[in-house]
Amino acid sequence: MGVTCVCQVPLAEGKSVQQTIDILHKKLEQLSAVKQGNFTVDCETYHATGNASGQPTKLLYVMHNSETPLSCLALFEGGPCLTADGNFDVLMIKLKSHFQNAKGHKVESRGSRYRYCDFLIKVGAVTMSSSARGISVEVEYCPCVVPGDCWNLMKEFMQSFLGPSIPELPSVFATKPEGLYVPADCVDTMTQYLELFSKVRKQQVLPGTTR
Amino acid sequence: MTVFMRRSSQRAKKMADAMNVGVNLEAFSQAISAIQALRSSVTRVFDSLKDGMKNKETLEGREKVFITEFQDNLQSVNRDLNELERLSTLVGRPSESHPLHNSGLLSLDPVQDKTPLYSQLLQAYKWSNKLQYHAGLASSLLNQQSLKRSANQMGASAKRRPKVQPSTLVLPPQYVDDVISRIGRMFPDMSIELFRPNGTSAVLLVTLGKVLKTIVVMRSLFIDRTIVRGFNENVYSEDGKLDIWSKSNYQVFQKVTDHATTALLHYQLPQMPDVVVRSFMTWLRSYIKLFQTPCQRCGKFLQEGLPPTWRDFRTLEAFHDTCRQ
Repeated sequence: MGVTCVCQVPLAEGKSVQQTIDILHKKLEQLSAVKQGNFTVDCETYHATGNASGQPTKLLYVMHNSETPLSCLALFEGGPCLTADGNFDVLMIKLKSHFQNAKGHKVESRGSRYRYCDFLIKVGAVTMSSSARGISVEVEYCPCVVPGDCWNLMKEFMQSFLGPSIPELPSVFATKPEGLYVPADCVDTMTQYLELFSKVRKQQVLPGTTR
Repeated sequence: MTVFMRRSSQRAKKMADAMNVGVNLEAFSQAISAIQALRSSVTRVFDSLKDGMKNKETLEGREKVFITEFQDNLQSVNRDLNELERLSTLVGRPSESHPLHNSGLLSLDPVQDKTPLYSQLLQAYKWSNKLQYHAGLASSLLNQQSLKRSANQMGASAKRRPKVQPSTLVLPPQYVDDVISRIGRMFPDMSIELFRPNGTSAVLLVTLGKVLKTIVVMRSLFIDRTIVRGFNENVYSEDGKLDIWSKSNYQVFQKVTDHATTALLHYQLPQMPDVVVRSFMTWLRSYIKLFQTPCQRCGKFLQEGLPPTWRDFRTLEAFHDTCRQ
C-alpha cells in the first residue's frame, strides 16, 4: 500500500463523461501504461436513528474497495473508522433499527486500472443512481509510504497525463498530527474517496450526462 | 601413381570450377585438355599391361616389343604430366573468397536449400571470430582495473610460499560485531541489525528511515552481496528466516539493488575493510531522500517512471540512471 491521491477531473470542453475518460485512457496508453483489469469503489450511506431531537443525524458511511475485496470500511465523517470483513454488510442489515439505509444515496466509481512502472492509476466514472456525475482519478505510488517524501514526484507524474488540472495536496495528509511524515494506509485513500463522493452528491446533475 | 593422378586432376578440376578473377581461362581449357590427354595415356599404359605380350615369333622379340611399348606409354604419361603441371602454374590462384579453405568446398554442394551447411558454417565462423575479438577487447579493459577484493596473492609466488590465509579474511566475529555497531551509531537515521543465520558470515538488515530496507551478506568484513527492498515489503520468508534471495516487487528498488552491487564492487581496499564498509554505508545513506530529490542533470523527478536512483560515488549527487553519463 503506497501513497495514494484521489482527485476529481473536470470534463473536457464539450465532451461527455465517457469521452473524457477515453481521452485519459489514450493519454495513459501513450505513456505505455498497461491496463490491468477493472476496479470499483462504492459508498453506502446510513442514517443513525434514535438521536435526541435537535441534534443532526449522524451519517455512517460503509465503503468497499475492489483492491481489498474481503474487507469493508465503516466511518463517520471526520470521526472514528472501523475496518471489518465482508460480513459487515449483513450485520448492518441486522442493525436496521439503529441505522437506516439511504438507498438513493449510494455512490460508486467504476473503471479501468492501469499500471505504469511503479504507479497504479485508476480512472473511474462516478455514478449516483445510475447517472454519471463526474470522473475520479486515483494515483498510487506503491514503493513509497510517506506522503511528504513523494508528493512532488506524484505531482510531476499526474501532470504528464492530466495536464493543467493537477490537484493540491490532499487534506487528509496535512491534517494528521504528525503531518506529512506518517506512513499512509488504506483509510487515507477511502477518506479521500468519501470527500470526493460528498462533493459529487452536493453537485447538481450535469446536463446531458445520463448513462 | 593413379592416386597421384587422381589428386592432381581433381585439383585442376576444382580450380576450373572456381570462376574467379585472376584466373587464366585459356590456360584452363588447355589444362583440361591436358588432363584428358594424361588420362588417355595412363589408360593406354594399363591397357598394354592388360593385353600382355603380343604374339611374335620369338620370346625375345615379344619381350622387346612389350618393353618398348611400355616405355613409350610411360614416357607419354610423363610428358602429359609435365605439360599439366606447367599449365597448372599458369592457371593462377583462386581468390581468397573461401574463408574456410577446404571446408569452403562445401559450397559446391548443389542441394543448397535442403542442407544449407556452408552458409551456416560461414555464419558460425564469423560469429566465433567476432566473439573472440570482443572477448579480447573486454579482457584488456577489465585487466586495467584490478577487481581483486581480498589480499590473496596469486601467481608464481603462491607456489613458492605455503598457502597462508590473508589476515583480513579470518577476523573474529566479535571484531566484526564491534565494527558494525560502531558504524550503526554513526548514522542516526539508519539502523543495522546483525544476524548470523549460516555459520560465521554476518547478514545485516539495514533499515534506512522509512524509505528502504537492505540485506547485506558479508564474508568476514567484506561485503559479498546486497539486496534492496521497499520499506513496506516483507524481509522474512515463510519459515521466519531472512529472505536474502527474492527481488523487490518494485522496479525502483530493483534498480537500486543493481546500483548497490556496483557500489560494493567500487569501494575496495583489501587491507582496510572497515573503511570500505563505512564508505558503503555512507553511500547507502544518501538514499534517504530517494523520492524527494530531483535529478541533478535534467532537473526532473521522473524518467521512464523512475526517480533518480544513481548516487555518484564521490559526490553522492542524485542522477537518473540514463542521465549519469
